[in-house]
Amino acid sequence: MASRTAWIVATIVIILIIAGAAWYYAAKGGKGTQTTTATSSPAPSTTAPQTTSTPTTSAAPAKPELTGNIEKDIVSIAKYLAAQGIHQVEFRVASAGDPNSVMRVYAISEAAYRLNKIVESKGIDFKIVIKTEFRRGGGDKLAQDFETGFQANKNPDIMANSYKWIARFAEEGYILDITPYVEKYSEFIKDFYPSLLNAVKWKGKYYGLPQDTEARPLYWRTDVAQCIKEKTGEDILANLYDKVKSGEVTWHEVYKYAKLAVENKCSQWGVLHRKGSAHPDLIQFIFAFGGQLEDPATGKLVVDVPAVYKWLYVEWKMARDGLIPKDMMSWDWAKQIHPAVVCGKTLIWIGGTWHWTEWQTKPYCNGRPLTAEEVKRYFYYTLFPAGDHGDKPVTLSQPFVWMIASNAGKDNKDYAKYKDVYHMIAFLLIVKASDPDLVAIHSIISAHLPVTKKAAELINDKAWVQKLANLEIELSPEVKNAIADIVKKTVNDINVEFLANASKLLEYTKLTPMHPLYPKLADIFRDAVDKVLRGEMTPDKAVEYIISKVKADPELSKATEIKGEIPTNWQYP
Amino acid sequence: MADSERIKQILFFLSPALALVVVFYIIPLILAVYLGFTPLRDWNLKAYMGKFTTQSYEYLFYLVTHDPDVSKVVKTTIVFTSATLIVNVLGGLLLALAAFFMEESVSLTYRSLWLLPRLTPVAVYSLLWYYFFLGSGEGTLNSLLLRLGLIDHPIAWGTDPSLQPAGTWLILIVVNGFVGVSFGMIIFYSALKSIPREQIIAARIDGANTFQLIRRILLPQIRWHLVYVTIWQLLSLLTTFAHIFLLTEWGVVDRWWGTTWALYVFNEAFSAGEQGVAAAAATILVAIGAVLGLLSLRLLGFKKMMQEPRGEI
Amino acid sequence: MSLASILGRVRRGRKEAVAETIVYHDVETISRRRMTLLLATILGLISLPLVMIYLLLVLSSFADHMLSGPDIFTAKYSLENWRLLFEGRLEPAAAPLYTFWDLVKIIINTLVVAAGVAAVVVVASTLAGYAFSRMRFKWRRGLMEFLILLHAFPGVALLIAVYAIYVWSLQLVPKNVLTSYQFLFTILARASLEIPMSIWLMKGFFDKIPWEVEWSALVDGASRIKTWWKILLPQVKPGIAALSIFAFLAGWEDLIYVHVFLYVAGGIKTLATFIEETIGNIETAYLPIAAAAGTLYLLPTLLFFIFTQRLLLETMSGGVKG
Repeated sequence: MASRTAWIVATIVIILIIAGAAWYYAAKGGKGTQTTTATSSPAPSTTAPQTTSTPTTSAAPAKPELTGNIEKDIVSIAKYLAAQGIHQVEFRVASAGDPNSVMRVYAISEAAYRLNKIVESKGIDFKIVIKTEFRRGGGDKLAQDFETGFQANKNPDIMANSYKWIARFAEEGYILDITPYVEKYSEFIKDFYPSLLNAVKWKGKYYGLPQDTEARPLYWRTDVAQCIKEKTGEDILANLYDKVKSGEVTWHEVYKYAKLAVENKCSQWGVLHRKGSAHPDLIQFIFAFGGQLEDPATGKLVVDVPAVYKWLYVEWKMARDGLIPKDMMSWDWAKQIHPAVVCGKTLIWIGGTWHWTEWQTKPYCNGRPLTAEEVKRYFYYTLFPAGDHGDKPVTLSQPFVWMIASNAGKDNKDYAKYKDVYHMIAFLLIVKASDPDLVAIHSIISAHLPVTKKAAELINDKAWVQKLANLEIELSPEVKNAIADIVKKTVNDINVEFLANASKLLEYTKLTPMHPLYPKLADIFRDAVDKVLRGEMTPDKAVEYIISKVKADPELSKATEIKGEIPTNWQYP
Repeated sequence: MADSERIKQILFFLSPALALVVVFYIIPLILAVYLGFTPLRDWNLKAYMGKFTTQSYEYLFYLVTHDPDVSKVVKTTIVFTSATLIVNVLGGLLLALAAFFMEESVSLTYRSLWLLPRLTPVAVYSLLWYYFFLGSGEGTLNSLLLRLGLIDHPIAWGTDPSLQPAGTWLILIVVNGFVGVSFGMIIFYSALKSIPREQIIAARIDGANTFQLIRRILLPQIRWHLVYVTIWQLLSLLTTFAHIFLLTEWGVVDRWWGTTWALYVFNEAFSAGEQGVAAAAATILVAIGAVLGLLSLRLLGFKKMMQEPRGEI
Repeated sequence: MSLASILGRVRRGRKEAVAETIVYHDVETISRRRMTLLLATILGLISLPLVMIYLLLVLSSFADHMLSGPDIFTAKYSLENWRLLFEGRLEPAAAPLYTFWDLVKIIINTLVVAAGVAAVVVVASTLAGYAFSRMRFKWRRGLMEFLILLHAFPGVALLIAVYAIYVWSLQLVPKNVLTSYQFLFTILARASLEIPMSIWLMKGFFDKIPWEVEWSALVDGASRIKTWWKILLPQVKPGIAALSIFAFLAGWEDLIYVHVFLYVAGGIKTLATFIEETIGNIETAYLPIAAAAGTLYLLPTLLFFIFTQRLLLETMSGGVKG
C-alpha cells in the first residue's frame, strides 16, 4: 500500500513540476525578462535592437555602426566579427509564390555572394552563408508558419511576403524596426517608388523594404472586340487605353461593351473575374467608385456604403443580364476560369500582370501554352476603369516586401552578445538584394513590376536585356544555374515591353489597408459578392448584410466606420 | 502476491500508455482550458499567456447570438454529426452484412475497396471529391448525369442557394461517410465472423429467412459492437474536420453551411491567428463531447457489458 | 509444467484454430452464389463513385490535364508529369524547386515518422491492453471508459496546447540533438492520438486468447512480465501486425502534426507537407503533377494494403470485446 501511495505522490509531483514550469515560463514571458543558458538559444527580443556596447580590447575594432556606404559597412562588420573569432554567419531566407518567383529567395543568396566578394577582396576571413526555402503557392501559409515557428525560434531570419502582414507582425514584435538603419541609408531608399514605401511603414516606422509589386489591369480580348466591330461597326478598342485613363470609358461603358459581346454571340461572357475572394481584385471597384477602405484620420476601417453599393450593383446587374456567370465565385480555376479566358470565351478579364507570363507557361487552352506573340495579339489591357463619369481609373497592388525577423541571426554564435551586428548584416543583405539588376531580373522572369527606378531603367535597356537572355550577366553560379531555364522561356522583347508599359499603371495604384482586421472585412465582401451574383440578395440587401455582419463581430464593429447612404438617384447602366 | 508487487506490475504495463495520455491529453487539456481564458493571438505565447480574460467566451457568445452565419455553423454541426453518425453506423452494418453473406473472394474485394478512403491522404481525397461534386458541367457527377440524360443542365450541388443547406450537407455526409463506414464495417464484419456457425445453421434448418436470421440471430450477437462503434463515431464526428476543410476552402460547398464547429476552431487558430478564441471554442466542444460521451456510455449500458478480467489469480 | 511445453501447447492451439476457420461451412436456404451476385451488384453500384474518383486520380497523373469525367477519352497521356515530379519541377515550365534526392529524403523522413508512430503505439498498447484484459485493479473500468472519452478531445484544441509545451521543452534541449528531439516529440504526440483506440483493440486480442496456458505458467511462479513476453505476445502477433499497419498508416498520412512540429518548427519536410506544396494554392496549381504526387503518396499505402489486406481484415476482429 505504501508503494501505491508513493506512486501516486510521484505522479502528482511530476504533473506539478510540469505545470509549475509552464506557469513560470508564462509569467517570465509576460514580464518580458530573459534568461540565457549556454546551451539554449535566448528568447527573442521583441524590442528594437539595443545599442549597448560591449567591452572591447584596444586591439580589436570597435563595434560597427552603419554609415550608409554598404561596402564600408560590410567590411567594418566583417573585421569586427572576425576579430571576435566569428568567421561565418548563417541566415535563413524564405518566401513563396509561383515557381518563376524564385528570385524572392535567390536575391538574398546573390546578395550574400556579392557582399562576400567585397569582404574577400579586403582579405578578411569572414563569410555569410544563406539557406533558402521557397514554397510554391501563396504567402499566407508561410506567414502563418512564420509566427508559429517564431515561438520556437525556428522562423526564417529574412522573409519576402505580402506587405499586409507587417501590421500584425510589428504589433507582436516579430519583425525588426529598421528605421534607424534606413535613416543611414537615406540615399539608397530614395530609389524606391514613394507609394511603395508606404507599404513598408507601420505607425511611421520602417519594417521592411519593397521586394516586388504588380498591377491589376483589365484585359480585353482583341478577337472578341474584332468580332463586335465586324458585327456592329463599333470599334471598342480604338484608343481605349487613353479613354479609360481619362475617365471617358467607365464601368457604364464596360457594361455596354460586354452586352455587345454577348448579344452578338462574339463571346459567351462579358466579364470574368477571380473566384473565392473579393480581395484584392474586386476591391478595386470600391476605389473606382471613389470610395475608401480606411479613414486616414482615425485609422479605422470603412464600409463606404455608396461605393460598395455601386460595386455590388454592377455585379448584380451584369449577372442578371448574363454578362457575368451567376456562379462566378465557385468556378474552378483549372477547368473553367483559365481556359475560358485563354480560349477567348469572354471579352474582359479582371486579372493581374503576372497572367501575362502565366499564359505563356501553362497549357490552359487546347493543351498548350500561348506563345508571347499570341498573348500580345489576343490581349489588350487598360487600367481598371472609373466607376462613374467623374471618378478616376485605378489599379491595385499588393507589394511583396523584405522583412527581417526580430530574432534574425539567432542561429549564430553568441547571439545575445552580437545580435545588433547580426541584424545589421540582415539589413545589408536586403539592401544588396535590391540591386537594380536583381530587381530587374525578378521582374522580367516572373512578370512582376520593379520597385526601384533604377531597375525600371535597366528593363528598358535593350543591351542589358539581351545579355540577360544569353545569361551573360554577373551572377553567382548557384543563382545563374537555378534561373537558367526560366530565363530562356520568359526573357523576350514582348514581355519586356509589356513590363515597361505595365509599370506606368503604378501611377494609379492603390493599396488595401494594412489594418489587422481588414481580412475579416474582405471576407464579408466576398460573401456579399457571391450572394448578389447568384441573385440570392439584391444589392441593397447585400449592403445591409455587410453591415449586419460587421456589427455581429464585436471586434470588427469597434474598428469599423459605416459611412454614407445607399444612393437613391443613381442609374446603372 | 503482495499488494505492492501487484501494483508495480500493473504500473509496468500501464505506465507507457498513461504517460502518453498525461503528457499529450491531460496536461494539454488543462492548458487548453487555461488558454481559452487568455487573449492569446498570433501564437504570441510570451506576451499573452500570463493575462486572464473572459473576452474569448464573450466574443463567441456574441457571435453565436448575433451573426446568422455562425448560427449556421451550429446547425451544421448538429445535422452533420447526427446524420453522418447514422450513415456510418448503418452503412457499416449493411456493408458488413453484405460482405458476410457474399462469397469470400468477392467480399474481400469490396472490403478492401471500402477501406481505401481511410488510407488516402486527406488533401488528395479532398481533391478527388472536389472534382466529383464540381458544380459545372466538368464535375464528374454532373458530366455523368448529363451524359445519361438524367439532367439537362449542370447542378451546383453545394453552392446553388436554392439547394442549400441540403446540398452542402449531403456532400459533407457522402465525403465523410465513405471514410466512416469502413470503421463500422471492419468491426461488425469480424464480430459476425466470430458468431458460432452452429447457431446460424440451426436457424436455417428451422426455416428462418435471411431477414429473420439477421434480426433474431446476428444483430443481438453484435449489440455490443454497435454500441461501441456508435459512441466512437459520435465523438469522432464531433471533432473531425479534416475532410471538410479543403472542400470548404476550395468553394465546392457553401462556406457557412459547410463549416462545423471543429472546423471553425481550426480556422480561428490557424487562419485567423486567434488561438485564444479557438481554445475557448474548443473547450466548449470538449465539454459537449464529454457529456455526450458519458451519456451514451450510461444510456447504452456500457458498464454491464464490460466483462470482468480473466486470468487473474 | 515447463515453459517450453506451454509454448508447444500454444502453437498447437493456434493450428487448431486455423483448421477451424478452414472447415467453416455455411448452410443456407438460397444459393450463396445467387446471393453473392445480387449483393455484389447493389454494392457495386454504391461503390461506383469510389472506383471512379481513384481511377481519375491515377489516370490524371499521366494526362495533360486534371481529368474529371468523359475527358478521359480525349486527354493525351504520357509519363511527362512523373518526369517533372522527379526533377522537382511543379509546372511544365518552371525552375526546379527540389532535386530527386530531396524527394528521397522527404520519403525517408515520412518513413521515420510512420515507423516511429507504429513502434510507440505497439509498445504502449500491447502493454496496456494486457493489463486491461488480464488484471483486476480498481480503476480498470473507469480507465477504459475514460480512454473512449479521450476521443472527445479535438486534435486541434490539444494542438495549441501541445505546441505550447513543445515550445517550452525546446529550450531544454541541447542543439546537437535538436533534430532527433523534434522527430521524437512529433512521433510521441502523433502516436498518442492512436493510443485509446489501439489499447481497446489490443485488449480485444488478449481477451480472445485462452487463459489456461498463461494461468499454469503463473502458478509455476513465472512473473507476469515474463508470461506476457514469452507466452502472450507470440499469440497476439496478428494483432500486433494489424495494429502496426494501422499506426504506420496514421503516421504516414498525418498532416497537421508533422506540419507544425517538424516543418514549421524545424524545416523538416515529409510527404504530407510536400503534397501541400505541390497543390500550393488551387488558383495556380498545375494539377496533373499534383495528381502524380498524390498517386506517389498513395502508392506505398496501396502496395502495403494489397499485400496485407487479408491480415488486416481478418485480424481486426473482436477488438472491442468487454
